[in-house]
This record gives sequence, structure tokens and C-alpha cells, in this order.
Amino acid sequence: MPAVAIVGVGQTHHSRRRKDVSQVGLAREAVTRALEDAGLTMADIDSVVVCTGPVLFAAVNQPEKWLVDAIGARLKPVVRVTSGGGTGLAGALAAVNQVRAGFADRVLVVAYDKLSEGALQYSISTLYDPFWGREFAVGIMGFSAAYWRARMDVLGHTEEAAALVSVKNHKNAMLNPYAHVRKEVSVEDVLSSRPLCWPIKLLDVPPISDGACAVILASESAAKACLDPAWIRGMAYYCEAENAAYRSMIQSEPLTLAASRVYQQAGITNPRRQCDVVEVQEPFTCFELSYYEGLGLCPPGGAAELVASGATELTGDIPVNPSGGCMGANPIGATALIRLAEIAQQVRGRAGAHQVPDARVGLMQAGGGWANLRGVAVVSSEKG
Amino acid sequence: MTDGLVTSIDEAQVLTTTLSMPYTLTTGPAAGSFLFELGNHRILGSRCEVCSRTVVPPSDYCSRCGEAPDEFVQLPETGTVTALTRTDRGVLALIRLDGADADLLHRLDLAKGAVTVGTRVRAVWAATATQSVLDLDCFVLDEDDQPPGTAHPAGEVGLIAQVPHQLELEYQHSYGPHYGRLFDELASSRRILGSLCPTCRNVLVPPREFCDACFVRTGQHVDVSDHGVLQAFSVIHLEFVGQTRTPPYIYAEIVLDGSATRLIHTVAGFDVATAAERLSIGMPVRAVWKDPADCRGTLNDIDYFEPVPSPDQQ
Repeated sequence: MPAVAIVGVGQTHHSRRRKDVSQVGLAREAVTRALEDAGLTMADIDSVVVCTGPVLFAAVNQPEKWLVDAIGARLKPVVRVTSGGGTGLAGALAAVNQVRAGFADRVLVVAYDKLSEGALQYSISTLYDPFWGREFAVGIMGFSAAYWRARMDVLGHTEEAAALVSVKNHKNAMLNPYAHVRKEVSVEDVLSSRPLCWPIKLLDVPPISDGACAVILASESAAKACLDPAWIRGMAYYCEAENAAYRSMIQSEPLTLAASRVYQQAGITNPRRQCDVVEVQEPFTCFELSYYEGLGLCPPGGAAELVASGATELTGDIPVNPSGGCMGANPIGATALIRLAEIAQQVRGRAGAHQVPDARVGLMQAGGGWANLRGVAVVSSEKG
Repeated sequence: MTDGLVTSIDEAQVLTTTLSMPYTLTTGPAAGSFLFELGNHRILGSRCEVCSRTVVPPSDYCSRCGEAPDEFVQLPETGTVTALTRTDRGVLALIRLDGADADLLHRLDLAKGAVTVGTRVRAVWAATATQSVLDLDCFVLDEDDQPPGTAHPAGEVGLIAQVPHQLELEYQHSYGPHYGRLFDELASSRRILGSLCPTCRNVLVPPREFCDACFVRTGQHVDVSDHGVLQAFSVIHLEFVGQTRTPPYIYAEIVLDGSATRLIHTVAGFDVATAAERLSIGMPVRAVWKDPADCRGTLNDIDYFEPVPSPDQQ
């Protein structure tokens, strides 16, 4: 397959509410930073992929039409991709495929959401069948909490295991200048925080954020001008039937599939040993635990033990979310692309205070729903 | 969120739902200044010197070159109609204000004469300001026959940083044959139907045309029990806009006996504060139905599920 590289990334300084810019003004900031990082201008961009969450988040239908004006993308190919929490990665995959297919040499992916503007849980609850269950829907938090509870019963995991994820990610976010929640918490703090959808408690939940991220993907020839490209070694995105018979909620089958596909593409047989750093999109702390298992960083059921061992801390052998993950900022439509940007910065050696020393191979994961939509990518400083 | 509607063969089989979504939208400097200054009876535009273009309403970024514009300008209140359409809510027109290089969409008040492309018009201000584009009430024929005005720098401008916004979205969802029958049976006979997949032999609830896993036509409806097992649950304390129940309550996913899929509902009939101790994954539960007179053909016809044996029998 033709090689594709990330040659520029940019993100906003995320916040709870940006009152000084419109939705597209926010996205523009990330685009400007990505173009600067890549040493390019919009004139160099062949194609644009726009990623946002459901339009109900923003009250603006077809937001890409508005964004074109704000980033100077008129008369370029522009499409919007949306896929729940995994939107940013789904958009990146579309861009990678545009490059692989020879349609474009440089594709700009821009992902954003300005969540301060709408009714978040209400909007997300509309992803339920209007006939069948919507009257009981609580965003994705209700069923995520339910299946975390099921995992606790089946696997013997505890609330403390998820609290350790919160403690770790909050601590890492202290080192991330783009995060807007920068406050250390203790296991005690997490366990005693207010229940929202028990067993999910306030400090298991990321903030609601305004933010944007942009990533520029380039063909091998176009990437030659770049000093430190991050090569896409594998990328995949899978989905599950929403209400299929005997659907597993303890492990996410789409995640297992995406991981095995990507590991095959990237030549990875032992992800824990071969990957230097991991970024995952954890809408709630319990998700990160299930990802450890789905990504094969530990055996099925072994996530509580893995987090307790300290292996996934910044100083551990397999650091997960050195950026702080979603705990630092969670502008949903942008979140998956932020994970990809962060992992690219790690293998480029540009992650700053939360850089994992000598990171060469990075693994990232993103998706939507408790187990529905799951994407995985491996990026590397080596083209392979 | 779901209004509910009992289906009948004689009536349109649709479920009417209304999404009532509140927003607080951030305007950004250009739109925010435009809205503010309309209250001062000033029409603002933005000027991009790179492209030599003035647009109204002003834009934070030039749509030609993507650069931030150099300045806000104030436009005259007169212009020329470049296009128009007559609707049942009046005439809408594109108006090229004098000194602008792009059109402004607004309404025309035709009471004082006919309008066509090329007609000169002037702005009429609303009697009371509402901080919206309708502070500019409409445009009318300009009979003064003055020479066209010009744009000039706007100087100091104010800003409305955020505006409230409300979406009221009404939908009519067709039940189709499977959901129609399911909800009719729920309301009339307390029966819960599923579809039998002829290939994997799983019973799928709600009933559906195709098996999600085998993708073959199901064809046959079968009854499933109103007893089942609790597959997962959480305790909802979170309050949010659009919520249909008052916390705390249980979010539950139940697999009914005889089916292979999850039903989303609530478990109740006991003190919710004891849910963590009382409920466990895999425990049997059963439906507690509403009074038949109160059944409307929705999942809410089942009032809740209760643990078996029920709490008062324990």
C-alpha cells in the first residue's frame, strides 16, 4: 500500500466555553497551527475532510459549508465525515484513503466541536431508536455505566481500577498545555465524587469542551519536504450491529477486529512490547480499562491488574494517554483526531513535557458508543 | 422526548416526536458586532484589502482568501435589488447595498409599490431592538432618487458575544409492519413480539425484517416472555435537558426469556438507594405492566421491571 504520513498537526487550547470565537473560528485556529507546523499554506492543500459530531451539538447543518469560508478552502474538494466519538479518526481514515488512492497529495483533516453551545446529553440520546429505548436514554453514559458494572461483576474489577485511570490521566494532563482541566485528583477524590450514572462518578467523566484539531496527511513524495513525518503504519475502523443477538458487551468485537487488522498491517505481534506509547479516547475512565484488553496490552480481564501495576503511567513500560487523554479536554468531534495528533507528536519527538523518551512506534484508538464503533491506528517515525 | 401514539390500521402509523433543543451560540467578532450595531441603526460590513471586497454581513474571514478582514465598515442604508422571490411569508430579496461587493438577504415590504431586479431600496428600522437581524425590519422602495452612498470605516463597534437559539424539530417516524404490530400487541394484549431468524434461530426483539448477523429475512413473529434477566444496569443521578424521567432511577438492559437481544428499560419497585446491593448481573426480572387503560403502544406500557421474586415477597 502507498505510504502516507502525518506532516503537520495543530490543536486549540481547549476550554469549557470559548466566547470569543464562533464554531468555525475555533476550527480555523487549529488549521492555522497545523499549516504552520507543516510549513504549508492552504494553497498546498488538495482536499479537505471536515469532522464534527452530530449536527444537534451545534444547531448548524452542513457545517463544512460554513467552514470553507473560514479556512480559505473555496474551490477545493471538501467532504464531512461523522461517526460519533470516533469521528476524527474516521475522517483521518478517509483522508488516508484519498492519499493512498492517488486522489490527493496533501489532505487537511479538521475536526471540531463547540460543546458549550448545545444540550449535550439530550443530543446524544437521539442516537437511540425513537421507538425503542430513547425514553430511557442517558447519552452514552447510561449504558456505558451499565456495561462497566457488568464488567465489574463478570471480571471482578472494582471502582478503584477506573479511579486509577482518572488519577493517571488527570496527572498527565497537568503536563499538557492544550488541556483545560489541570487538577490532580486522588483515588479517594474519584471514589467519593458525585455519582452521575453509578458506577460512573463525576471524576470518571471528562470535561465538556470547546476545541478543534487539524492534521495534514501527505503522500510519500509530498512528505519528503517534511523533516519529521509520522508514518501511518496501519489504520482501521470497524462497527458492530447495534442490537444484534448475543452481542458481547464485555469486550468490544469491533475493537478486537480493528486492532488485529492494524497490527497485521504494521507487523505488530506483541503490542505491549512493540509499541512505545498509546493514546486512547476514553469518554469515561472505564473505557480505558476495556481498551487495554481489546488492544491486547493485557489478557482479557487483565486491565485492572495492568493499571494497578503502574505500567500505563507516563513512566511505565507502556504509557497510555501521556497527554491526559479526554480527562484534559473532550471536544467530542475533535477528540479522536487529537489522539492521532498526540501520538504523531510522540513519534516525532515533539510532545513537549509529556513526551515519552525515544518513542518510535505509537498506538492510538478511538471510537463511539460503549462497544459499537472502534478504530485503531499505528504511527511510526519509520516508514517501514 | 417520545410523545407516543397508539397505532391503528385505520390511521397513519407514525410516531410523532419533538426534539426541543436549547442552544447558546457564539457569534464571533463579525456577526456579534453586526448584531450589536443594528441596534444603533448601523449596518456593518467587513473589508478585505487583499481581495478589494466588502461583504455584508461582515465575516471574520474573507471567503475568497481566508484572511482576517482589515476593518469593519459602515454601509449606507440604500442599495439595489439583485434577485427576489415571492413566498407566502412575503418577498425575500438579495440586496446589494451601496459600496458592498456581496448581497445581503433580507425581506422587502412591497406595500408601497412593485419591485424588480434593479429597483433601488432603502432600509427601514424596527421600532424596538431585539438584538437580531430583524432590528433591520425590512427594505422598501427608495423614492428619494439620491446618488448611491458609499461605505466608510465603522470606528468603534460593540459586540453581542452570544445569542440564545432554540430548535424545535418535529418528526413523524413510520412504524412499518414490525414495529406497528409490536406496539399494537403491547398495548392491546401485553404480548411482546420478536422475529425468529430461520438461519441462526435467534429471536430478535424488537422484531425486524432482517437478522442483523445473518442478514436473511426473518419472516416469523414469535412471542417472548415478559420475564427476563438483567444484563446490565446503572443508577442514573445525572439530570439533563430533555430527560423524560426524574432521577434517581435505574437504566437497565434486559434479555427477555426466549429472546437473544437487549431491551432497554428501568428496574424499580424498591428503594433506588439500595440498587447497588439489591441488583446483580444475570438476576431474573419481570415486567410490571401499566393499567390497560393507560397503555399507548410504547415501551412505557411496561411501567418497570422488578426483581423476581418481587421485593415484597422477599
